[in-house]
Amino acid sequence: MTLHRLILPTLALLLCASSFAQSPQGREIAYVMTDLFWSVYQTEDAREECPRGFNDGPREQFETLFADVTKHTVESSQLEREVATWHPTATPDGFEFKSVEGPYSWGMNLDGKSDDEDFQHPDGTVGIDNQVYRAVGCIIGFRGPDGVEYIFQNKAIIDERYNRMMIRLTDIDDLLNDDFVGVDFFRGRDRLLTDATGEAVVPGGTQRVDDRWGERLIRHTTGRIANGVLTTVPISEAVVPWMNLNVPSIHIFRDLRFELSLSATRASGQIAGYADVDTWYHQLIRNDSTHHLSNGQISAISLYRALRRFADAYPDEAGTNRAISTALKIEMTQVHVIDEHQSLSGSMSNVRRDLLPPESTN
Amino acid sequence: MVTYRQLLAASVGLILTQASNLADVAELDPVTSITSEQYREIPKPSNVRVVATELEGPVFATEDGRTLYKWPQHKLRNGYSGEPPGKPACYGEPRLTTAGLMSPYPAGVPLPDRDQRPACTDLWKPFYAEADAQPVGKWTVLRRKDNRDQWAFDEQALYTSIRDQQAGDTFGGTRRKHDGDSPAIRVPIGPPPLVPPGVTVKTTSIGRLLTTTKNESLYAYRSESAEPLACVKECLVEFSPLKAPAVAKAMGEWSVVEREAGVRQWAFRGRPVYTHPDDTHSWSLEGSDEEGWENLFTQRAPSPPDAFTVQETLAGLVLADSAGKSIYVYRCGDDSLDQLACDHPNDTQVYRLAMCGGGDAERCQQFWPFVSAAENAIETSRAWSVVLIDPKSGRYAQQDHADAVRVWAYRQRPVYTYAGDLLPGDLNGAGTGEWRGKRNGLLAFWLRDDFMKGIE
Repeated sequence: MTLHRLILPTLALLLCASSFAQSPQGREIAYVMTDLFWSVYQTEDAREECPRGFNDGPREQFETLFADVTKHTVESSQLEREVATWHPTATPDGFEFKSVEGPYSWGMNLDGKSDDEDFQHPDGTVGIDNQVYRAVGCIIGFRGPDGVEYIFQNKAIIDERYNRMMIRLTDIDDLLNDDFVGVDFFRGRDRLLTDATGEAVVPGGTQRVDDRWGERLIRHTTGRIANGVLTTVPISEAVVPWMNLNVPSIHIFRDLRFELSLSATRASGQIAGYADVDTWYHQLIRNDSTHHLSNGQISAISLYRALRRFADAYPDEAGTNRAISTALKIEMTQVHVIDEHQSLSGSMSNVRRDLLPPESTN
Repeated sequence: MVTYRQLLAASVGLILTQASNLADVAELDPVTSITSEQYREIPKPSNVRVVATELEGPVFATEDGRTLYKWPQHKLRNGYSGEPPGKPACYGEPRLTTAGLMSPYPAGVPLPDRDQRPACTDLWKPFYAEADAQPVGKWTVLRRKDNRDQWAFDEQALYTSIRDQQAGDTFGGTRRKHDGDSPAIRVPIGPPPLVPPGVTVKTTSIGRLLTTTKNESLYAYRSESAEPLACVKECLVEFSPLKAPAVAKAMGEWSVVEREAGVRQWAFRGRPVYTHPDDTHSWSLEGSDEEGWENLFTQRAPSPPDAFTVQETLAGLVLADSAGKSIYVYRCGDDSLDQLACDHPNDTQVYRLAMCGGGDAERCQQFWPFVSAAENAIETSRAWSVVLIDPKSGRYAQQDHADAVRVWAYRQRPVYTYAGDLLPGDLNGAGTGEWRGKRNGLLAFWLRDDFMKGIE
């Protein structure tokens, strides 16, 4: 036996062993969402993205409109503002709206194009579609680390189970590089496993698949892993449960996709797609009263107009765009999935095969 | 589609004896009645009685059967409303401006319908004490600012509601959960339930739920009795017997069974009682998903109309109309110091019309239609009734009103569906309105809640 005949099989065995060392047990791994924020690209003083400053909120607008409240009535002041909130229109409301003017944004190129409305990713990628950011980026309630939306949304993920969204990757050969993995998107039913502080989620917990109330949330897609980053094929439509302050609401995302850096214990990155505008708006105002919106200087009345103005996809019969591009920063922690009723073994009817990224079509 | 009756078919449904008018009401036997919740007898004034109610269990009532309410102090965003112990705050002067208790809206704004606005005592009649009234037990007499004497229980001044028309009505207020952003509501008072130490009763939309004082729901298994016990061995992994101490004695509908030597367990109406440690939240109904198991109630809430259905949602079970559209109730409390309700057809309709249709009654009908009652619809309880409503004003209509609509009402208030709900189980209208629907808005009629800190 020549030396090379000994070395080659040994090398192959080592390579194989190395590859399988990256493959999770059972060739699958699951992660549970622990953090979710609307992606807002922020510079330190905000002058780049918000040169005109931040928007006023309900409190400031109320004081402008009704300086002497004794000259008004509940109907003509407070209720007038609530009516405008709950029965919004796209017509101007008389207040200057400060949208994002900077060139950069987090997010993804959802439509494969690059045009004047698009942003540039800080890494240089052009064609970034994130018009929700254009609308909310100069509202302090959406900015970290202490905006009211930033805080409440994440607190709810830890405290509640309604928004316990998860992904499970299947058919994994290698967690670093794999041309094809299955991806299940679904809701868990259980509390998060935390450390002794009760605030830091630790890997290794278990989650039951919520097939009791959340069966209609289950979606399946596929993806590829390159250099430890998972990229998924878009899901045509996904309902994402959303709860803070105890009101169960939803978001509806079209062409929803994931881009996640994976490890054996964590997954982090972004999800992006087109949010249904009216569902987006109603989630906001159903979860947050005018009081909470005031704390974040979020005028829902003004914001609705901006969302409608910047909506950039899925036009209705009249040609009015009804969806708006968006991206969310997401953090996830590894968990073990208990799928008692095999609820995750469904079809992939929701996959947007027409939007398969070029890398996956080989 | 599941009807409400089917949902409850496996449960112990209890039919309350319905009082037809004030004079017919008989005082409950505190320990022998099995048709409604039993209570612990405590000293009370001679002109106070205990009356069974459909929704709130036994309550204290006046001699003519009117439910007694307290108005406990309630912390709101910018201060307190309600009454601190010993200090009545409900008087005969109408409050005409807002109190600014809920941000961001300020105090001092003129309230709606000022010329017709009632004073607190127009809606809440103080339960005055006779000149020779003597304190007894927790019952005391308070001196009001107008120099009249008023009965109090646990130092809380007591009132009756003009919304109550018959003995057993509790249309003025509720003991159901209301958190910090809800109005400072009035709460019916009653005797303590006759339950073992460590057990309590919670008023919910589906009945008076038995729980531990740690908010763990109590369960029973089918028709299990003491001999032989059905829940043994592996069953005890899922359900834990509610242990009774060695000195425990039977009381009312509660008895003690001996599982084995030295291990005693409480039984309710003859059925051994358990907790379900896997319940993920307080006041849970999750244990009832296990085959043969059900939550325990002292009394069930009256069934909704026959045609109503139950729908599964992303968060639990919701009551729905015959087409599967979720049912909503309108809740409203104004921002005055009196915290007067504005959710009844006899209250100002300014708030409701603003929320449901931007002030336009026709848009209200478009977005939030009433739930029509068939001509032959039958009322089977006081809680669920058929009422005539003038759709333009939102107020009760007379029989001869040409445009009146005949609709279902819960606690005398019409219920609604939402045009934005397209499929059974949709809840797109839940939380619509001020303070997530809790102060001037619409809330889903939950029958089971697995995600919102327990059923209300």
